[in-house]
Amino acid sequence: MKRILIIEDNPMVVKSLEFKLKKDGYEVIIAEDGRNAMDKLSNESFDLILTDLMLPFISGSQLIEFIKEKSPDMPIIVLSTSTQEDIITDAFNMGVDDFITKPFSPNELSLRVKRTLGKVG
Amino acid sequence: MNFYHNFFEQAPWILRLNFILSLCFLFITLAMVGFMLYLRLHKNVRARRKKFLDTILIEFVNSYLFDEDFDKKAQTEKINQKHLKTDFDRKMAIKQILMFNENLKGESTLAIKELFINLNLYQLVLRDLKNRNWHKKARALFVFSQLSVEVPTKIVEPLLNDKKGEVRQQALLYFLKLSVNNPLGFLDKIKRPLTRWQQIYIENGLKYAENIVVPDFSKWLNHNLDSVVSFCIRMIAEFNQFENIDKLMPFIAHEKEEVKLEAINSLCRMEDISLIPILISRFDKESIAVKSEILKVIKSIGSYEDLKILSNSMNKEKWNIKIEYHRVACHFKPELKHKIFSKKVGLDKSSFTPPLLQSL
Repeated sequence: MKRILIIEDNPMVVKSLEFKLKKDGYEVIIAEDGRNAMDKLSNESFDLILTDLMLPFISGSQLIEFIKEKSPDMPIIVLSTSTQEDIITDAFNMGVDDFITKPFSPNELSLRVKRTLGKVG
Repeated sequence: MNFYHNFFEQAPWILRLNFILSLCFLFITLAMVGFMLYLRLHKNVRARRKKFLDTILIEFVNSYLFDEDFDKKAQTEKINQKHLKTDFDRKMAIKQILMFNENLKGESTLAIKELFINLNLYQLVLRDLKNRNWHKKARALFVFSQLSVEVPTKIVEPLLNDKKGEVRQQALLYFLKLSVNNPLGFLDKIKRPLTRWQQIYIENGLKYAENIVVPDFSKWLNHNLDSVVSFCIRMIAEFNQFENIDKLMPFIAHEKEEVKLEAINSLCRMEDISLIPILISRFDKESIAVKSEILKVIKSIGSYEDLKILSNSMNKEKWNIKIEYHRVACHFKPELKHKIFSKKVGLDKSSFTPPLLQSL
């Protein structure tokens, strides 16, 4: 079973993602903030990271840099409210695989997760 | 008892007064402390209830939206009867539904709206909309417009002219969101001026809302309210409605400065150079703000030759207009900058001052 780490501080979004992805057959692990995410990333292994950019303690961008240093091939999908072109471009330049803007369609997100994991697999 | 009797009989009046006041203050202090404890307790109980409801509602809404095996009808009835008993509970449910609506789109949006109706929240929000308190009305309008739930027009329409700005703002956002084919139809019904914030909200609504048909703004150029006319003139440029350039021209001679400035600015943004000779011919009659705007137009879409026509008018102008004028001159001829500076500080009195700068 593929393991997905969700890094998001909005409990409603977390629960929706967890619900949807578990139904799709993935194992879902949650981190509510950047610090917690770094702990989990240091001690466990994942197949995909789904992260917000605005997080408490450590920002999403710092987190992406950390992940890319530690495991450059780890697929990352960003889920953010930001629609600014420069932020999206910066994220892709840092090496993220996909960028989904909020509000998001859960079915579309499910498909994008599947596609990203398919590329890696 | 005897002590109190003796005390009140024998003690001087000042002591008795002191005693009575002390008792009063003690009572007030105890009452205040009691009230604070009650408030704290009440707050804690509500916070616990809120946390409990949030957990249940998030779980419920997720199942409602994503679980195909979920018995929607039975579970909705169950949650309605078991958990949504008070207005506070229902308000928590509305808050969660709004949160889902804000974060999810696509097929979930319809399901969220359906859930709002099935949980009987429509009635509660409609009751708030009819309430006398302005904040309840504004909040109800916000909920209806966020969820795109229609309410009878006869209830919402009067709120477009409510005495509270917040209610008016939410009412026009409601119409903007729900009247997809005629999003600015409400402009025909408003009787109070549009505030700057309302104009910004409408503009953003038109730019970012999905499926909205942007109207022809020239329809409201003869509106009774100057704020509506100014807004529409600005929007004509914002949405590149070049076909309305001719309709904007008369507004550069409008009696209201606000409207006139907006027309000049919009025509300039649409790069209509036929505007320049007209503005130059009117320059002497205009106010300082309009003169400054005319100079900006020349800088933006005019030429150095256009500017030179105004050089004779500069002698009688105020300093701020002269400075603006020379700024524009430097924009066209950067080499003039040194000469203007020399003349001003007297560094190079022998240098030639071109006719353009004689007014300095």
